[in-house]
Amino acid sequence: MAARGRGRGRRLMSFSVEAVGISRGESLPPSILQPTPLFPPMEQKPLPLVGGEEVEYMLALKQEFRGAMRSLPFFIQPDAPHTDVERYSDKYHSSEPADSSLDWKPGEAAVAVSLVKVSLTACFAPQTLEKKEEEVSSGEEEGEEKKKQEEEEAEGEEEYDEEEFEEETDYIMSYFDNGEEFAGDSDDNMDEAIY
Amino acid sequence: MTAQEVRLCGLLLQEHFGDVVEKVGTHLLRNGAQHLRAIVQETGTPMDLVKKSLCVLIQHGACAFSSGRKGPGSPVEYQASFERILRILRYPRYIYTAKTLYGDTGELIIEELLQRGHMTMSSTVKTVADRLTLNMEEGHSMEYSEVSNTFSKLVETHFLQRCPPVEVAGKAVSATPDPATTPGAPANNTTPSTPESFADCYKVPHVTLIGRGKRRNSSEDGEDQRNAKRAKEDPETHGDEGIYWQVNFERFHLHFRDQAIISAVANKLDQTSSEIVRTMLRMSEVTTPPIATCTQALSANEIFRSLPPNYNISRPILDQYLTLLVDDPMEFVGKSGDSGGGMYVVNLHRALANLARATLESVVQERFGSRSARIFRLLLRKRHLEQKQVEDFAMIPAKEAKDMLYTLLSENLVQLQEIPKTPDHAPSRTFYLYTVNQLPTARMLLQNCFKTVANLIERRLFETKESKRLLEKSQRIEAILASLQASGAEPEQLTEVEEMITPPEKQQLESLRHHINKLDSAENQVDETIFLLESYIKSTATNKVIG
Repeated sequence: MAARGRGRGRRLMSFSVEAVGISRGESLPPSILQPTPLFPPMEQKPLPLVGGEEVEYMLALKQEFRGAMRSLPFFIQPDAPHTDVERYSDKYHSSEPADSSLDWKPGEAAVAVSLVKVSLTACFAPQTLEKKEEEVSSGEEEGEEKKKQEEEEAEGEEEYDEEEFEEETDYIMSYFDNGEEFAGDSDDNMDEAIY
Repeated sequence: MTAQEVRLCGLLLQEHFGDVVEKVGTHLLRNGAQHLRAIVQETGTPMDLVKKSLCVLIQHGACAFSSGRKGPGSPVEYQASFERILRILRYPRYIYTAKTLYGDTGELIIEELLQRGHMTMSSTVKTVADRLTLNMEEGHSMEYSEVSNTFSKLVETHFLQRCPPVEVAGKAVSATPDPATTPGAPANNTTPSTPESFADCYKVPHVTLIGRGKRRNSSEDGEDQRNAKRAKEDPETHGDEGIYWQVNFERFHLHFRDQAIISAVANKLDQTSSEIVRTMLRMSEVTTPPIATCTQALSANEIFRSLPPNYNISRPILDQYLTLLVDDPMEFVGKSGDSGGGMYVVNLHRALANLARATLESVVQERFGSRSARIFRLLLRKRHLEQKQVEDFAMIPAKEAKDMLYTLLSENLVQLQEIPKTPDHAPSRTFYLYTVNQLPTARMLLQNCFKTVANLIERRLFETKESKRLLEKSQRIEAILASLQASGAEPEQLTEVEEMITPPEKQQLESLRHHINKLDSAENQVDETIFLLESYIKSTATNKVIG
């Protein structure tokens, strides 16, 4: 901050000392050698949020709007990730709504919605009874969210394990609690002995 | 397009339209106008997904297409508009305003139009009637004509407008549906045309819509499927094909601006003055263009006649109130003449500037304390002051004043202006004056607001992701409960299922819901500040151009 004057060793700065207000003899604050902390302590606490009926109503409107947008055809899902090996059943997955992308007239929203829903449920053929029940009875929003999350776990080992298990046995695997979830929560701390 | 704006737009697109649209949208925002091939190559998304995303963006008015810059043979270029995407933050406010002005019907009309971007009048009326019927008691349903009436009223008051028809260029690349009303206009029309430049912007088409809203019951599922099949095969036409409507955001903004001025007057003076200002604004609604600095002059006689009937104040009292309003330092109302008992105008631009100034002062006060705010207000009023003068006028001891000034300087809220006495700018012979410029400071705070909202959204997404397992579990249990209740189960089964969530988990869920609500509510309130600052900046920019 202190720029050295030309030829002088004494303390000389590019702006006049008296004019800006540092009188002689006062020490400058120490220079900072690291970036400012991420969450600095605040001297003044912020004001509380406004409450009231209007605010709550707008909050509800906002959350409903978000939920509604997820179920409209405007919410575009990325392509389903391809598994490493081509499966025979891939032929029978109608993973894309039949060429509605190019001929898409926004007025035919209702048609597209049903197509999208059908295609997404068909995508995940190996499914437990329980999951099917959820998708039917739970809201579209929740189903979409779950499917979206499942889609995003491209290398989701949980998904893959279930598929493998279900293809080999006749039993529905989720009925058996094999104790995985119990120990699974404390994954980080392997030092503890698991009794 | 600043980095903060792009980040915020990306988050909004992701929440409302998904990741694919977000990728395409942010790419367009960052890189300006691009043609289709470039977008496909640079985002690495497959062609059909890019096309779908562009369709979605155009449908919602966030993207416009125009013929290429390199001449009539070059491919069509797409350009995203970040301002339109930022409007998504304000949707709840638009819907709520429609509710206060036109009731539930108006609210649902605006909500449907905001969700779908562009819609024909007939499909809007049908969907809204169905939704209203769902909420009514058994046996009652909503008439289409009632909904049409509300729709027409919204169009009359300019809250809704027609989507501008698109010129059919050489290649039919337009995704916006439109009838060929203007046959083959030349593709060199690069001037952006506003929806209002078309004559029929606010004309309600003649639509034959007779019927009532349909209620979807589970017992009527079979019937509905048959009806749906029939509808697909035999689309009913209502005489308004190809005429699409969109929400007119500018009109809503004028309404918000008026509301802000009226509530400011009510806070500063009293209820009666705010009623007078409200009357003046109402009278000049139709005659004032949106970018005007002040309304048309209204005589005191006219104001007296147009006051609402339950406000029976006498004529001399009205004159006193008007004088008070004119003398107020906030300058909401000005006197422009003496004919007709006094000609008064509402100073729109000055009111906005004062509101923005109050916002800036309040920000400084809440962040740095009331003494720093005093220094800030002083500098706003006196423009340029030296260090010594600041200390004297603000009546703050020198050391603390210096400290506060440096803090404000480091936050860029206060600037230093050098005035040299000699041509060599020697430091000992130069004046250093502190100053505050309202417009650049407002711009900086606006960017801060964008950053704030983006941070709030990210934090909300983070919180949701953290408790994803818990949320999924609670959703599963709700689903099971719902299905059990629908199939008529005993109370013991219901309580058994409810107990699957343990009390600490319930608490965690409660606190998660509370946090998410707080973050959402904060976004709404920051948007109010964004609106004020944006209006002020826009008003200053247009008025500078006019001179």
